Amino acid sequence: MADDIKDKVKTDVPTVTFTMDGQEVTVAKGTTILEAARSIGIHIPTFCWHPKLKPVGSCRMCYVEIEKWPKLAVSCVTEATDGMIVHTESDKVKRGRRATLEFLLLNHPLDCPTCDQGGECELQNLTFEHGIDDSRFDFQKNRFTSDTDNTVFDDKRIGPEIILNRNRCILCYRCVRANKEAFGEYDLGVYERGNIAEINAAPGQQVNSPFSGNLPEICPVGALTSVDWRYKMRVWLAGKTPSICPYSSSGSNILIYTDDNKNLIRRVTSRCNDDIDDGWLSDITRYGYQIANSEERLQTPLIKKEGKQVEATWDEALEVICNRFKEITEKKGKVCIGGLISPSLDNASLYCSSKLFRTVFNNNNIDFRTDYRMLPNKPDSYFGMLCNRSFRITDIDDSDVIVVLGSDLIREHHNEYLRIRKAVNFNNARVFSLNPYSVKSADVAQAEIVYNIGTDEIILVAIGLAAIEMGLVEQGLAQGFKEKVKLGSLAEATEVCGVSSDDVKLVARALAGDGKVSVIVGELITRSHGREAVASALFNLSRLLGIDKKGQMAVLARYANSRGAEKLGLLPIPTGAQVEMLKAMWGKFPDAEPQTTDAMLALMHKEEISGGLVLGGNPIMLYPDRQFITEGLEKLDFLVACDLFESETTELADVVLPMSSWAEYEGSYVNLEGCNQVACQAIKHIGQSKPAFEIIRLIAEKIGTSLFESDEQMATEIEQLLSCEPDNATPDNFVDVLPLSEEVDPDFPIPLCICDDPHHTGALTQKAPSLTNFTGEAYIEMSPDLAARLEVSEGQPVRVESPVGKIVMPVKVSKHIDNDVVIIPRNFSQIRVTSLLMRKKRVDRVRITKVDE
Amino acid sequence: MFYSPVRTNAAEVAQSNRLHLFRYVEDPEQVKVEKFEEHGGYVAWKKVLAEMEPSQVIEEVKNSGLRGRGGAGFPTGLKWSFVPKDSPKPRYLCCNADESEPGTCKDRVLMERDPHAIIEGMAIASYAIGCHQMFIYIRGEFAHCADCMEKAMKEAYEHGHLGKNIHGSGFDLDMIVHTGGGAYICGEETSLLNSIEGERGMSRIRPPFPAIEGLYSCPTIVNNVESLASVPHIINHGAGWYKSLGTEKSCGSKIFSLSGHVKQPGNYEVELGFSLKKLIYDKDYGGGILGDKKLKGVIPGGSSTPFLTPDMIDIKLDYESLVEGGSMLGSGAVIVFHEDTCIVWVIKRLIRFYRHESCGKCTPCREGTAWLEELINRIEAGRGKPGDVEKVEEICGNILGHTVCPLGDAAVMPILSTLKLWRDEWQYHIDHGKCMVKTDFEFK
Repeated sequence: MADDIKDKVKTDVPTVTFTMDGQEVTVAKGTTILEAARSIGIHIPTFCWHPKLKPVGSCRMCYVEIEKWPKLAVSCVTEATDGMIVHTESDKVKRGRRATLEFLLLNHPLDCPTCDQGGECELQNLTFEHGIDDSRFDFQKNRFTSDTDNTVFDDKRIGPEIILNRNRCILCYRCVRANKEAFGEYDLGVYERGNIAEINAAPGQQVNSPFSGNLPEICPVGALTSVDWRYKMRVWLAGKTPSICPYSSSGSNILIYTDDNKNLIRRVTSRCNDDIDDGWLSDITRYGYQIANSEERLQTPLIKKEGKQVEATWDEALEVICNRFKEITEKKGKVCIGGLISPSLDNASLYCSSKLFRTVFNNNNIDFRTDYRMLPNKPDSYFGMLCNRSFRITDIDDSDVIVVLGSDLIREHHNEYLRIRKAVNFNNARVFSLNPYSVKSADVAQAEIVYNIGTDEIILVAIGLAAIEMGLVEQGLAQGFKEKVKLGSLAEATEVCGVSSDDVKLVARALAGDGKVSVIVGELITRSHGREAVASALFNLSRLLGIDKKGQMAVLARYANSRGAEKLGLLPIPTGAQVEMLKAMWGKFPDAEPQTTDAMLALMHKEEISGGLVLGGNPIMLYPDRQFITEGLEKLDFLVACDLFESETTELADVVLPMSSWAEYEGSYVNLEGCNQVACQAIKHIGQSKPAFEIIRLIAEKIGTSLFESDEQMATEIEQLLSCEPDNATPDNFVDVLPLSEEVDPDFPIPLCICDDPHHTGALTQKAPSLTNFTGEAYIEMSPDLAARLEVSEGQPVRVESPVGKIVMPVKVSKHIDNDVVIIPRNFSQIRVTSLLMRKKRVDRVRITKVDE
Repeated sequence: MFYSPVRTNAAEVAQSNRLHLFRYVEDPEQVKVEKFEEHGGYVAWKKVLAEMEPSQVIEEVKNSGLRGRGGAGFPTGLKWSFVPKDSPKPRYLCCNADESEPGTCKDRVLMERDPHAIIEGMAIASYAIGCHQMFIYIRGEFAHCADCMEKAMKEAYEHGHLGKNIHGSGFDLDMIVHTGGGAYICGEETSLLNSIEGERGMSRIRPPFPAIEGLYSCPTIVNNVESLASVPHIINHGAGWYKSLGTEKSCGSKIFSLSGHVKQPGNYEVELGFSLKKLIYDKDYGGGILGDKKLKGVIPGGSSTPFLTPDMIDIKLDYESLVEGGSMLGSGAVIVFHEDTCIVWVIKRLIRFYRHESCGKCTPCREGTAWLEELINRIEAGRGKPGDVEKVEEICGNILGHTVCPLGDAAVMPILSTLKLWRDEWQYHIDHGKCMVKTDFEFK
């Protein structure tokens, strides 16, 4: 906050100067007295005020006295003006605050000894501060009694992870406001009025948005508490460690609370970073830590003996690995070993893997993109260029036009979704959502355009053609653009996409305007192999409308350290600059053919790669062609898998090594904008697990090469690689857009999209009980119309068949979807959803039939 | 004959060339647009459309000296002139028909019996501020008023007084009749706007004032029913005529809702500056105190205004005189209490209302009114403890001026007023456990 205000002063914003407690203060015009006070370290107590919400001035705690004003002023809503003389601690102010506290305590239960908020309760702290030790209220306190649960405490579970106690509520409305303003949710509301007003879940609804965990955190008292943390321990006894979210690519800043006696993580709260998470955490970030505490964690190395994995010591396991790898390389050469590395690992682990493969195995068989299909093998793809562009999360805040292409943000990029909401709320940003099906996160959009699946690049072309048709671009550019597309007119393009040309014109006009632009390309594009066509179409559109000159466009990195993996050279073919740098550091760089995940799997099928290393992740579950990857890994002579848990992938492994979770060692992670952040060690290693980087170094040492002379050397090399800035290159001219269409098999008519559930990400979160409380099993999401045609209702099972697989799962009917596209989350291993997919398809299509019970 | 058979002074108004609002309120046909037009209705609206610029209308209303009849008495024309001329946003007009102040029942009569007068006033105001969508927000309990307004609106559309290209002027105007959910607070303008938007009826922080950022964050004017109903008359007879009515600073006529211990309660239109004594005692108006008892006190402007005592009976009913007398004109609801009224009982009844209507936003009002109700109930029932009166006074002080909207102030002002005027009665309840005055009849 303080920095915000200083920044405002620095720029050319008009300022005001006034006096507060005898100090002269200069702040930007429009700054409230409260903000000004905080900027100079004067504490004014508050309840309803929250730095991320619009002020409402209702709790009446933040009184200040302004000379010549007849009444006490409420500082959170009073703007400072020139010459004001403000007193924040006068007797009148203190009397006012005491009165408010007295009012708040009238009906407050004072059950502090059993209240979970004790020790971090703002009401408790302020009562302590103001020394109120007696009540003049000699009537029966107002009591709410819950009709469902524990009546003594009025504890009512209003969501999978939230417990409400209305008696403790002081009606600051922070939760309801945050839910509505910041998250766009209406599942929590205020009912009744006056002193019997109550916060409660909307009738018949659960408070279960992917941001619901923030509500207990912003509650100043113990009215909203989380099931996760409740009654686990007293807050002042917990150890606190600053860390980074290991799931989100924006790298939310978190604080880990630990029970150091039991070596357990107890909860995660926000460590507000205005530039990154803006103080809000997604539930995945908040509850995902539970995987670290899980009793299912792998404790010791396992070695497969006679078809069974048995416990072994590290020495034995390393010995086997070393011998088998040596055997394979002696027999077939070093290109016979391939590595699939998880992009959720920290920088050191990623870099060590890269160095192991490139300097010890002397090949380029390494990739971290294990859930993408049909990755290109050539170095300079347009998609690659698009990935290598700079992007700033905070630039979303003041963007005037935001275009989201191929992403339901609430399933992939929670923080960015909230940023966009903020831009709409505070900056009147216009958002356009372009997707093959109607997504939940389009609720902030001015217009949502739902185009025919598989026409992602055509919709971009259509926008360009619309701008040309409306005369918004100069002739020369228009000519260049039109030459590169096969479609002559807007009408033709919109016909292919199945959208209305009015909607497309709306987007075109917005993008052609002078406003600041952010274009975000999401996972529906990046995971499909239409990505190259989309990237070229986007570059053309950018050239036509000058997008990159007036804003930013980017493919958002998906995992905690995907961006780091790119920067550290984990791509099979690093960029030219990276190769140069690595050559200089290592004195060599392998000239072996680079192999992407797809290529490596193909080589495994041909038995040209016979040794494999899977470091983290669970590729069998996530790779979009289950048969292909399973058969590939099965054909390996020797497979090492390192993970936290047993999984489909570790089952196939000859040696399984227990890996430490992110909380068990210090590691750094690069977020999607390239910012390198450190997660500190919060707990000790579970069992005999070891951090991934240590495992890699041990393997290298066992084979006979030490990767680094010292830890410092490793740190320096990583730092050097990370210092490479994105080159922001664009093609020199308009480029060919090569649309990619494929035949539809009439037997399998319905397009299928594989996404993350809003409460899950990747393969690991199914081990977090709180997250499975929200969604515990897979479902197939479809429009009400399709469900009606299939004669199924919510929860009924259907059979989903593709040319290669068949699964049965319950239906989820989503009102916001209005076309024939079905969505299945990939996060649940019971349902082998990837077995329906074929890696060579751009659009997966299925046949759905009702299962007769 | 009428849904609310309240007594009015329509006969007197019909004879006068100065009073105007109540001229036809006893005519059951007046609700029909034909009759209304026959009585000179929509003439002003046509005149405005044909001959006047919006700025001229604002100027005319400014010059007339018309002040808001809802309670605050803010000059109506001046309020209209606050709408930014250059704003690209649409503007809105909201007629505040959420008449909920205890004792007030004037707007109800107008809506039931002369709804077109309100529509005409709203239309002229909309034209003046450049609004093409106007709302009338009607108190939830007034279902019959909403029916009347709906019918009238339909007729107005049919007769071309509303809709597209009204009377060939090129001016479009639409109207929405919006009913409330039954909350006193929605009579407060920002809560009213929240309510129309579908939000909870809770006040907003001002500034920004509605004229700058109101309904859907667009410039919005909120006017009381009576203020708007006066506008056509100003256009018809001229600002000078209107200014000549009433006193120098309180121009025009005003409807007073007389209730309480009087023989003839009812709605009476009189010029501002009218004598309170005449209103209560004259045979054409109140007709004297029930049972010819002595007067104990009067609330002159709705339940939230401080009391007047019998020695102030000669006070004039206009904005300035009442402020001078320590009270307010408010909405013009004169509530009369005779000598046998227990003042603590009156307050008990009032605080029950305010506790019930507090929206729950600001801590002092939400918690304070409930605490006050408990305390006052106890005192009234004769179970008060020593110190309770002082406690009541202190709690009132902690609420007064400490809330976003005026509900908190409204709740405590009559209490503080009685504590000043009849403290002995309060104290008597504490000391003797019973009431000082003998109440000879029960009223609930």
